[in-house]
Amino acid sequence: MYSVETRSLSKSFGTVNAVNDVSFTVKAGEIFGFLGPNGAGKSTTIMILTTLLKPTSGHALVSGYDVMTHPKQVRQSIGYVQQESTVDEYLTGRENLLLQARLNHIPKDQIKKKIDDILELIELSDKQNDPVITYSGGMRKRLDIAGGLLHQPKVLFLDEPTVGLDIQTRRKIWEYIKKIHKEFQMTIFLTTHYMEEADQLCDRIGIIDNGKIQVIDTPENMKNAMGNEIISLTFENENSEDFLSQLSQIDLIKKINKDNDKFTLFVSSGTEVIPKIFQISVALGIKITSISLTRPTLDDVFISYTGREIRDDDTGFNRKREHAKMKRLRA
Amino acid sequence: MNSLLYDTYTIFWRELKRYRKSRSGVLIRLIQPAIWIIVIGNTFSGTQPLIQSVGFEGQYIEFMAPGVIILTAIFTSIFGGVNTLWDRRYGFMNKALTSPISRSSIALGKMSAISLISALQASLILGIALAIGVNFPNPLMIAPIMAIVILFSLGFSGISVIVAATAKSQETFWGVINFLGMPLFMLSPALFPLELLPDWLATIAKFNPVTYTVLLVREMMTGVTEGGISALLSIGIILAFVLVMIGLASYVFTREVNKPF
Repeated sequence: MYSVETRSLSKSFGTVNAVNDVSFTVKAGEIFGFLGPNGAGKSTTIMILTTLLKPTSGHALVSGYDVMTHPKQVRQSIGYVQQESTVDEYLTGRENLLLQARLNHIPKDQIKKKIDDILELIELSDKQNDPVITYSGGMRKRLDIAGGLLHQPKVLFLDEPTVGLDIQTRRKIWEYIKKIHKEFQMTIFLTTHYMEEADQLCDRIGIIDNGKIQVIDTPENMKNAMGNEIISLTFENENSEDFLSQLSQIDLIKKINKDNDKFTLFVSSGTEVIPKIFQISVALGIKITSISLTRPTLDDVFISYTGREIRDDDTGFNRKREHAKMKRLRA
Repeated sequence: MNSLLYDTYTIFWRELKRYRKSRSGVLIRLIQPAIWIIVIGNTFSGTQPLIQSVGFEGQYIEFMAPGVIILTAIFTSIFGGVNTLWDRRYGFMNKALTSPISRSSIALGKMSAISLISALQASLILGIALAIGVNFPNPLMIAPIMAIVILFSLGFSGISVIVAATAKSQETFWGVINFLGMPLFMLSPALFPLELLPDWLATIAKFNPVTYTVLLVREMMTGVTEGGISALLSIGIILAFVLVMIGLASYVFTREVNKPF
């Protein structure tokens, strides 16, 4: 049985297909990363999986239960840590966890021990009786995560767990995520913008764009599929069509991304390819202005599947979310 | 059923915790009704003959004090649902909606918390009324009066929760609430006896649950029955109103929160 399974899942808002015929599976105990640019359909998918939205068509199963027909059972099996901090600022850390315990029907006689244990795990025991309004962003996030896993859900959804945190805190949160995964062995479904985060944490990654799954694989395989090395080159823009077609005949080049006067070549042996590039450019009279050779990162994988780097949020739904986020940041 | 009560209590507990931490607001919210009772109560003291003409033997301020207590209850409870909008915007609602608790219990928990807060505010106004010399022959009636205020506020908080769940913005919420609150207060015998209203207004007032609550509370405070409306009838109407609002609020809330915000 899969922890999360979608079959031809679709969701449209008016004429916008936020999620379009998406099928994937997540195995029990896996950390699955869901990546995509803004407006790609990540949030919509996670909202369907957590029973907040009903799909337009298709099926989604979480922990074996259909989100449409058995939402209550799904809710009993999941923990959901939202992108925005949802802890009550005026309550203390402990009161927030108590609220979470009650919301999730943890039996009364276990509540105290579970809260004590989790506070220890996230290292907030000494601050537990302070109002959350005095907590830093990182502490709030830890408390948020603690709330999501207090009832030991079978599947934990983490929506952008480290967005807006500094790099030290981010690394610390990664440690906590690894720690809780080791301790509780639950399935973790996380969305992120940060490739490094996905690389660090995830067993497998799915990249979604324009509401469709572009690729699902392990981070290692994805990077390897990109070729061993990346050559970026810029040139004065003439005859780029000829240049492109001749370059693509070189066997060692696996893939070429073109962006005006900039090419990104994914190659298996950069040192052999570079002289060939120069031979071609000289023959065509193209003047190369810069060239560099790097190892691929997950960023490159991401860009190769999702193309352009910056995305306008074109769904009203996402605009609202962003709007809410901005309001929160300004507050 | 058991879990509905438990879940309702969970939300109730959370709302009260939040209220407790925002105590500074309590006094501010008392200013307006205090002005009503002090300013209007004294300004209109000359209308005593009008009040007496319908059989009320006392100061005007004693006549209208119960009305201002209900005014406090109306506005505390009808404004009370506004944090539903914040909860939806800041994710608490999604947290509750993805937990196993039922949608109805969220609405009911909020309503019961609002009605208790409303009764607290109203009891402070009652205190102010007594402090400025309103005659209250039977102090033992305080408990049943507060019970009626809680019940009434439970119904009114339903209006607030319904509007908050349906409205997508603060502006809509406040627009609708202001549109509802003041007329419901004015179209009742809170400030003047029903007998003094033109017939058509008095007829409208008879469909207003505020009317029966004011009459009942005034009867409990002063012992005067007005307009031949018995306490039993008033209690019956208030109960029916509350039951309808509980049902309606649970239904509308459940329907609305299942839509994307």
